[in-house]
Amino acid sequence: MAFEVPKTAYSGKLRQIKLGSGDKALTVGGETSYSFHLFEGEMPNLPKIAMEVWDSPPEEWPQAALEPFLGVTEDPVLWAKKCIDDYGAEMIALELISTDPNGLNRGAEEAAEVVKKVVEAISVPLIVWGTANQDKDSEVLSKVAELCQGKNLILGPIEEGDHKKIGASAIGYHHTAIASTPIDINLAKQLNILLGNLGVPDEQIIIDPTVSGIGYGIEYVYSVMERIRMASLTQQDEKLQFPVICNISKEVWKTKEVRIPESEDPSLGDARKRGILMEAMSAMVLLLAGADVLVMRHPEAIKLVRGMITDLTAA
Amino acid sequence: MIKASPNKKLKVHFDPDNIDIIVEEGENLLKAAISAGVHITASCGGAGTCGTCKVLIKKGEVESTRTEKLSLDEWQQGLRQACQSKVITDLVVSVPVESRLETEVLSQEMKMVSAAGEAEALATGWGFNPPLSKLHLKLPQPSSKDNISDLSRLLRGIKQRYHLSNISVEFEVVKRLPHTLRKNNFKVTATTLVTAIKTKLDKRRPTIINIEPGDTSSKHYSLAFDIGTTTVCGQLLDLNRGRVLAEGVAYNGQISYGQDVITRIAYCQKPGGLKELQQAVVSTINGIIEKLLNQAKVSLKHIGHINVAGNTTMTQILLALEPKYLRLAPYTPIANFIPPVKAKTLGIKVGEQVHLFTFPSVASYVGGDIVSGILGSGVYQRKKLTLFADIGTNGEIVIGNSDWMVTASCSAGPAFEGGGIKHGMVASSGAIEGFEINPENLKPVIYTIGGEKPRGICGSGLINIVAGLLEAGVISQNGKFNTDLSTKRIRRGGDGYEYVLCLAGESQTGKDIVVTEVDIDNLIRAKAAVYAGCQTLSRSVSISCHDFEQVIIAGAFGSNIDIERSITIGLFPEIPADRFIFIGNGSLLGARLASYSTDMLDDARRIARMMTNFELSENVDFMNNYVAALFLPHTDGDAFPQVSQRLKKLPPRHRGKELAF
Repeated sequence: MAFEVPKTAYSGKLRQIKLGSGDKALTVGGETSYSFHLFEGEMPNLPKIAMEVWDSPPEEWPQAALEPFLGVTEDPVLWAKKCIDDYGAEMIALELISTDPNGLNRGAEEAAEVVKKVVEAISVPLIVWGTANQDKDSEVLSKVAELCQGKNLILGPIEEGDHKKIGASAIGYHHTAIASTPIDINLAKQLNILLGNLGVPDEQIIIDPTVSGIGYGIEYVYSVMERIRMASLTQQDEKLQFPVICNISKEVWKTKEVRIPESEDPSLGDARKRGILMEAMSAMVLLLAGADVLVMRHPEAIKLVRGMITDLTAA
Repeated sequence: MIKASPNKKLKVHFDPDNIDIIVEEGENLLKAAISAGVHITASCGGAGTCGTCKVLIKKGEVESTRTEKLSLDEWQQGLRQACQSKVITDLVVSVPVESRLETEVLSQEMKMVSAAGEAEALATGWGFNPPLSKLHLKLPQPSSKDNISDLSRLLRGIKQRYHLSNISVEFEVVKRLPHTLRKNNFKVTATTLVTAIKTKLDKRRPTIINIEPGDTSSKHYSLAFDIGTTTVCGQLLDLNRGRVLAEGVAYNGQISYGQDVITRIAYCQKPGGLKELQQAVVSTINGIIEKLLNQAKVSLKHIGHINVAGNTTMTQILLALEPKYLRLAPYTPIANFIPPVKAKTLGIKVGEQVHLFTFPSVASYVGGDIVSGILGSGVYQRKKLTLFADIGTNGEIVIGNSDWMVTASCSAGPAFEGGGIKHGMVASSGAIEGFEINPENLKPVIYTIGGEKPRGICGSGLINIVAGLLEAGVISQNGKFNTDLSTKRIRRGGDGYEYVLCLAGESQTGKDIVVTEVDIDNLIRAKAAVYAGCQTLSRSVSISCHDFEQVIIAGAFGSNIDIERSITIGLFPEIPADRFIFIGNGSLLGARLASYSTDMLDDARRIARMMTNFELSENVDFMNNYVAALFLPHTDGDAFPQVSQRLKKLPPRHRGKELAF
């Protein structure tokens, strides 16, 4: 008798959601099996990678991370274009670092104008990421939503404490909501229910489970993401059947292990290679756990991850 | 022997009910009594083994056999066991008071347990035989022919009159004996006390704890207490009639030293801390005793006994026993069965003779209060698979039936008793208990205990309020207010958003009474702990909540609890409401029954041995279940299909015009 691969019986299916607008709009989700379990089900939309762009010049990025973007970090529009033109970015994730009340504390109007410039300059979907300061994000992201009406931005992080204000804006101006909770399957589900009660359509929600890189608790993230995927696919938990976004680059590139120059600790080896591998490997782990959208930084790391996706989906 | 021939009709007359009934010859006398509506206690259900259905045949004859339950004396007096007797002639039967009292007490207890008098929520089969007895004696005066010692005279009298031997005597009684006997011509009343025995084979040994001149047997009282972490409840009992004469409740004086048992235990580690806490609760108890005596106009000297049910920590602190090791792994209590102690030595203001009994405990966090609840509600007597939940500062949960029982304890916090709630209070007069909301203008309609002007909110009131606000869409499923609603009832106060239940002009306190977001949060955490505890314990024994044939809820959080609304907030699983029975303060119920019945006292020991404790703190699922339960009604809406359905019908608050743009 021929060998048969044991198969998981799935009863649920992930929702497909559309990101962005126009020709370059993308669709994610729709899986009927665990990620890359193509022998068991389908993955109609491959995971997408958004490239990270900041709205103010980064001051603490390691040299290795800055190199690919030399000359454009002063201008988010140029930066975004470079990501798309030179590195083939399918999406852009604009981090509104400048609005941090503990930093530059730029006002909502000004920040929203920058977002508008970027969104008008590019055609790929745009993720807009606040500072996770609930009061400030409510103000900034609501303004962004209004100013970029109809662009179907992907807005976040939306947390329990600010979900009403930002959620209402997402409904009113038609954007996708990033439902962000601190690494817990129950909290993730609760926020999805609350957004649903508020009136956010199911097609406009994507889950941010909160992630961390290798060495910083990625096992825990993995298990929570895995449980979310199990609940949605094998237990038909409708309130968890949403695609998942993982904002991983920020987490990796701020770690000590990535930032220490080789000169300070030769045993850690080449800093550039180290950073790229840490980012790529963290991203790969998250892809296996069920990430549908990754926010990444280094073009070389992205190349590695794309290679992995191609390998795992080769017929 | 007279042969019974069928179809002959005979008349049986029952005294003192003065009821006649016509029966066929050969009918069982107990059955005849039941059809006549005459109450005769028959604990064993007619098997002839309990001896509680003794009746006196005044005229006529029955066909009956004498079992060991009837002495030859009794047989000769004409006493028969009704269940063992067949009617063969017309009869006049007198039902003795002992056989009636039990029935009366039982039916009263049933009424107290639930308005509907549901037999399924009360222990049955116990005889009315309080551990504390008063024996009135008219002893012969000493003479030259009869000059035995005073004590021998007393014991001889007791043996002759009450058939009691094997009695021990407290030294204090011996000391007072000569004067007391001679004060009223050797007419005295002795008070005896028995303790629980381990097995039915053990011999019970009564102790004479008090001796009074004259006949004081009509003044025969005891006290039952539930010592809760947050609330202390007491009742004054009439042991001649099996009645509650007065009832009192107060917050435990230890509250100011910490809201939960852990902080209390920690406080005991300070120099003098244990003594301070011990005195705090004793002072609460003394306050309640004073109120009870005033209310019932009973004199302190006639209190003979105190029965206390409390969790393990409360019990140990009350007895001034070091609670330190309850808190340290592997969590060991000092003793599961603590011997009786003289109440006065603890500082309780009662007579020197008064002994205080505490209920046996199972583990550090499964104490005498839950044993008492199981005892009172009779869960241990029935085959029905039962979920028993005692909702207090510690939620204690028992699953099982007469064959097995598992138990777990989870920390719910004081919210159910009004603790940690801005305008929370104990469930006494003036507490807001009922709540309705007008869905149009969002104005509340409130009802208070006793119909007085509102003073605050009790636990059951808080449940009703949160359920009402949720179903009206005033709060979201995360317990936060929908601040976009156009009503002045929702406003920003000192503790964030709040809903105004009652304006200053209408309240007893002269201040607005509100429920705050923090209050709602506290209730959500409390209910989540209880629900997660039930869920975790059920899963540990592979039982789904739909398997429960009966759910018994106990708690000191109100005169009643609205089951439907408790399900709405997700405190209890969504199973048919007719399976739920609320018995009020179960701990106090058990303490009371064990004051009425020595059988119950014995059963309490048995129950404590029978329960298997599960440590939720060591269970990995518990925390996960808890976080899932921190939502209204629950993160898993499918577990609450009806509530979820109702909530879905609420209009989204941000669609259409209501959108703030």
